[in-house]
Amino acid sequence: MARLTDLPPAQAKRYAELECPSFATTPWVEGPPLAERRVAIVSSAGLVVRGEKPFRGRDADYRVIPSETRPEQLMFSHISINLDRSGFQEDWNVVFPLDRLRELAADGVIGSVAATHYSFMGATDPVQMEGYAREVAARLKSDAVDAVLLSPV
Amino acid sequence: MSALGHYLEEEGIPTVAMSLIRAQTENTKPPRAPWVPFELGRPFGPPSDPAFQKRVVVAALNLLERGDGPVLIEDFPKDDPRARPDAQWRAPFATSDRDAGSTARLAATLEEESARVDADYGRIAKDRGRTIVGLSGLSVTEAGRYMAAWLRGQIPDSPNPELSAPLALRFAVDDLKAAYMEVALAGPGKPSSNQLDDWLWNATAAGAAIFALRRMYLTSEDDRLKAIAGLFLVPGVRVQ
Repeated sequence: MARLTDLPPAQAKRYAELECPSFATTPWVEGPPLAERRVAIVSSAGLVVRGEKPFRGRDADYRVIPSETRPEQLMFSHISINLDRSGFQEDWNVVFPLDRLRELAADGVIGSVAATHYSFMGATDPVQMEGYAREVAARLKSDAVDAVLLSPV
Repeated sequence: MSALGHYLEEEGIPTVAMSLIRAQTENTKPPRAPWVPFELGRPFGPPSDPAFQKRVVVAALNLLERGDGPVLIEDFPKDDPRARPDAQWRAPFATSDRDAGSTARLAATLEEESARVDADYGRIAKDRGRTIVGLSGLSVTEAGRYMAAWLRGQIPDSPNPELSAPLALRFAVDDLKAAYMEVALAGPGKPSSNQLDDWLWNATAAGAAIFALRRMYLTSEDDRLKAIAGLFLVPGVRVQ
């Protein structure tokens, strides 16, 4: 469904021609075996714990999602209407696979699940997000996270 | 998303970025990215299918153990089985007079329909223990009334002092759509998103009302309202 050939031509053209940031470097960090890694989710779905401020427009900052958050507490405030929300409504793992990570940790496939996860608004200019992303990196490191699953929508 | 991965990786944290649009991923060149052939909004595939989702998550995490990057872009081999329509699914209702008469008539029909949906929605949300309705702070009935006021050409005050009136309209529309979807998901069968969208946009007064709001305010002199009307009410695929 997300093949460009499956999208309406105008939408496909927008996505194909979307200006993407280019970077001078291509960083690459390796780590221990998966079974020893501590994994966090960083989403760009505009997720927000109920009671906190939803994302408005193209906010560049982020929201914190503690690992003990329950499905009924998580809201979806992404600005785009050109993406499906019904999958998330039925099952949050479609966007935020925390239950799957817990199962993988219980099975020993990964080492552990991070104490905290994060969400951004994906439609935001990445340059505006850089400072916040580096702030999240510091928070992840303080939680000993050494693997991040990035989840766009 | 790939840009976020770039910043995190620069800070020393290994990342793997799900890819929904392969062309964008090829341009941004993240360290690791499994491309998945799923619709936008479902990076881990079908809802209520833990085994399938786990395959996707494991395929992604396995890229972290590879040493032959950057850049690693791997295609996930399976399509989402929930992308297919389900003949067992039934739409909860259809509003037959949604296209009849004036905008004022449509506003009244929307108020009646959304109040009826609110009753079903409340019961379903209580049974499920979960809803994503709540961005506007309005109940479903109130969201319908708020949209109806805009349909009547009034510019109603925002019900929330922290939201501008145009943003309150956007959130009210988001909440109304979400409530309708949760009612539609509660029936038998496992509908595709396209089945749900066809119903919302083609068979409900809410769908007709959102189209009408878009038409009314697309030429507004208020730039925020114009932007909301043009970009954040009706999906592009429904207006082309």
